[in-house]
Amino acid sequence: MSMLEMRQVTKRYGHGPTEVNALRGVDLCVDPGELVAVMGPSGSGKSSLLTIAGSLEAPTSGEVFVGGADLLAMSRNETARLRRRSIGYVFQDFNLLAGLTAAENVALPLELDGTSVKVARRAAMLALGELGLDDKASRFPDQLSGGERQRVAVARAVVGDRRLLLADEPSGALDSENGEAVMRLVRAACSRGVAGVVVTHDAQLASWADRVIFLRDGRVADSTAAVPGPESLLTGGRPS
Amino acid sequence: MNGATTALPRSANGGRAARRALVRWSVRLFRREWRQQLLVLSLLTLAVAATIVGIAIGANATTTVQAELGSASHLLTIDGHASKLSEDLDAARAAFGTIEVISHQDVVVPGSVAPLDLRDQDPHGAFKHATLRLVSGRYPTGPDEAAVTDGAATALDVQVGVAVRTGDRTRQVVGVVENPLNLSDEFVLVPTGQATPAAHVSVLAHITDEQLTSFHTIDGTGLSVQSGGDVTSSQAAAIMLAISTVGMLFIGLLAVSGFTVMAQRRLRALGMLESIGATDRHVRLVMLANGAVVGLVSAIAGAALGLTAWLGFAPHLERILRHRVEHVNRFDLPWWALVATMALAFLTAVVAAWWPARSVSRVPVVAALSGRPPDPQPAHRSAAVGALLAGGGYLLLFFWRSTAPMLVAGILATTIGMLFLAPVAIRALAAIGGRAPVSIRLALRDLVRYQARSGAALGAITLAIGIAATIAVADSSMQATADAAAPNGNLRDTELVVYLGRESTAPIPDASATALATAQASAQQIVTAVGAASAITLQAAINPDAATLPPLGNQPGGRMPASLAKVKSIGNGTSVQIVSAIYVATPELLASAGLTADGLDPAADIVSPRDLNGLQLELGRRDPTVPKVQVYDLAAYTSEPTTMISTASMQRLNLQPITAGWLIRSDSALTSAQISAARRIAADAGLTIETRTTTGPNGALGTDSTTIGALIALAVLAMTVGLIRSETAGDLRTLTAAGASTRTRRWLVGATAGALGLLGAVLGILGAHLAVLAWNHGRLGSLAHTPIANLLMLIVGLPLVAMTAGWVLAGRQPPTIARAALT
Repeated sequence: MSMLEMRQVTKRYGHGPTEVNALRGVDLCVDPGELVAVMGPSGSGKSSLLTIAGSLEAPTSGEVFVGGADLLAMSRNETARLRRRSIGYVFQDFNLLAGLTAAENVALPLELDGTSVKVARRAAMLALGELGLDDKASRFPDQLSGGERQRVAVARAVVGDRRLLLADEPSGALDSENGEAVMRLVRAACSRGVAGVVVTHDAQLASWADRVIFLRDGRVADSTAAVPGPESLLTGGRPS
Repeated sequence: MNGATTALPRSANGGRAARRALVRWSVRLFRREWRQQLLVLSLLTLAVAATIVGIAIGANATTTVQAELGSASHLLTIDGHASKLSEDLDAARAAFGTIEVISHQDVVVPGSVAPLDLRDQDPHGAFKHATLRLVSGRYPTGPDEAAVTDGAATALDVQVGVAVRTGDRTRQVVGVVENPLNLSDEFVLVPTGQATPAAHVSVLAHITDEQLTSFHTIDGTGLSVQSGGDVTSSQAAAIMLAISTVGMLFIGLLAVSGFTVMAQRRLRALGMLESIGATDRHVRLVMLANGAVVGLVSAIAGAALGLTAWLGFAPHLERILRHRVEHVNRFDLPWWALVATMALAFLTAVVAAWWPARSVSRVPVVAALSGRPPDPQPAHRSAAVGALLAGGGYLLLFFWRSTAPMLVAGILATTIGMLFLAPVAIRALAAIGGRAPVSIRLALRDLVRYQARSGAALGAITLAIGIAATIAVADSSMQATADAAAPNGNLRDTELVVYLGRESTAPIPDASATALATAQASAQQIVTAVGAASAITLQAAINPDAATLPPLGNQPGGRMPASLAKVKSIGNGTSVQIVSAIYVATPELLASAGLTADGLDPAADIVSPRDLNGLQLELGRRDPTVPKVQVYDLAAYTSEPTTMISTASMQRLNLQPITAGWLIRSDSALTSAQISAARRIAADAGLTIETRTTTGPNGALGTDSTTIGALIALAVLAMTVGLIRSETAGDLRTLTAAGASTRTRRWLVGATAGALGLLGAVLGILGAHLAVLAWNHGRLGSLAHTPIANLLMLIVGLPLVAMTAGWVLAGRQPPTIARAALT
């Protein structure tokens, strides 16, 4: 079963003379362990696709399933619960909560889901440790560099039982080195069975994906398997 | 890493763990961003403090009834001339048990029409001991001793150790006393039994209404009763309840305004929270927790500030309240009311946070992440709800204001209704400003775009202005009422009358030309002493055929002036009760009443603003004359003497004019020092003066409230305008990129502040007038005396100050805006 399935999804903003068709009948399936990159020019509907997949907004028409669950049939609270438990979201500008430390930011989705502070903190420390940030756990976001913040955001997106990782230009605010590092983390998460969708302008970063789809004017203009990324040379196959 | 949390326990809504995490974040945010909430915190703290001070003042503001009754339940006044006075007192003792008897005598004050009260009150009396306090010296113990109040000492020009002539006896002043519950109560105190013969006797008793009903004087006359009934206390309670309700509403509106600002500031963070799985309830909890923290801090800080202010300010309040505060015990406060105020402030802040929390939780996640405010709701819906609430609330206030729950419901409904009407007002102003220059047009449209916070702010500003304007209008109305109701000649506090005789209806001495010139010189001295420009000569009309009256006691002899009297037939004779003096309608006296000689009816005897039904002209002749009265409209604020006899009538009735005194008008209220100086001059010259005997509102309250209301409104404006303009930073950048100058930016901010200030002032003043009208059961007369200066200060001054401040402060573009990207 696909982790993410979008069928004939359309999204319209505004009405009358201000109407904009952001998505026009988009189909997309992402299997567990698969990483899909979404590319396209500005205004092609990439971010709309991601926000709809992440249940942050509803499509105008079409169907969206996450782990087999129909998003359109869910209430706001149910989609919120889905985001806590199954969907991890990484934003271009990190979106870490300023009043919480790195560890607290990572632990927050778990605590919101009812996990005790102690257990959630332990899981957060584990996630941060795997990303090499265990020594920065008690720092606030404004005490971290851009790359560190995005790594914390990735840790928050994958902590717990997340099955779908959505990243909107995750390296957009980072230099190329940090951008590559973030993509490596996303790739690593997918290798553990997480389905990933990454929106990016950068073909170099898209090369980390198993598949790349191109959006133009709200439609899937092309879909192709990406050229194996640089690390595939080291592993002799799929990047890991 | 996934495996580490696979088996983590979860509850459906996150349960306690989620709540704890969110409250922790909220408190952390408050600690990090408390400076951004400083204004709302300060305003809430001040509002709580003001409410607490108000309650403390209300609790210590004893009424005039208390000042009269002390701890007794009833005060019976028996005419001292009643033939069976001692029998009446014995009957009262038999009927009521313990009673306290105080005899009163009127003592002539040299140079003054108003007599002083000489009373024989026991300092250790059963009930009235709370109304007597020794300031210095000692209480009088012997028949030749007396104590005086400060005012009495000034009036009699005596001090401790000096002998004073009171009544028929000279007494040594041995102490200074006061009535701590009424510092305006001026009297001479003598030992019990020394105020004889009494003009009247006060009998204090703690009795039931049944006991009172069964009591009668021996001859059935000369008894009046005053009780500390429930009417006064229920009115005070109603006013206290109204103050508390309005105070809490104001706190609530301030909090709504502040939290709306805060919610908008945190919109992105709340969007982030939602993006990682927070539910609407979680988002609301963050805002409610913030409200709780702000409410708690404000309640504690406000209570501390309020109590400190009360303790420090209480001695100064004595001057306003006209009674000693320390006598009541500054710590004897309704603590339950103070704790309830704190609890209510906390609850109000939490409830106030709910509305912005609800709004922000409904913002779509994507919109929240981009920091876009929700689209404005159609104004007509809120207008309908607002009109319904305001109208319903007004009806409640109009018809059922004496019932506490209805009073609270009326105030709540009216104020919340006004809040709902605010968006309509904002849209109306924006529509009016459609053709204004671009910066003003843009400012007005931004108010509509951000109407969630501009509406709440407008509500708070309107309430602040409304309270200030209500106090100013009510104060002005009360002042006018006091002017109209003032006894003894209805003089204003700027006026003084000098009489040649003892008073207006007393015999006028037959003064020689020299004596008259001397008296006139003394009157001129008084004119100078009180800082007046001139004096109007008052001429009385006398019957030349009537005999000159001989001196009687302290009263000099002379000619009785024509006066108005009630004449009754008693048996074979008649009883003549003189009601008021009349003066000759000289051109200058007519002019002072706004009349001219040409406007008089030649057939009329008397011109007066009243119809004088039942009154007759007393001319010292056998048969009193029924006068023909020409009634005229009295110009506002014109005071006595307003009833005049025409010169034509004098000829018809064969009367002659005689100088009776002088009316002196000053530009400002006479001070006690000026009055004392005038009285001394008059006493030295054998004249008497009359001034206003009551102290009513003097307008200072209205001015103070106007200033405070305007300052609070400006603080709310500062909080709101700053936010609205910072959120439209993109527009500013775009304008700058399009070539707009600093001036445009200044006008944009200035117009935003000015428009909100103007709307708040208009709505607040309108609400104030409606409130006063409702309180007075729709009597339009209660609005006749508009405090123009105060209202102009609010409706013109406030918007101008707000606009100017906005214009000046918007000169420098904040770096955060300058660096922001164009959108």
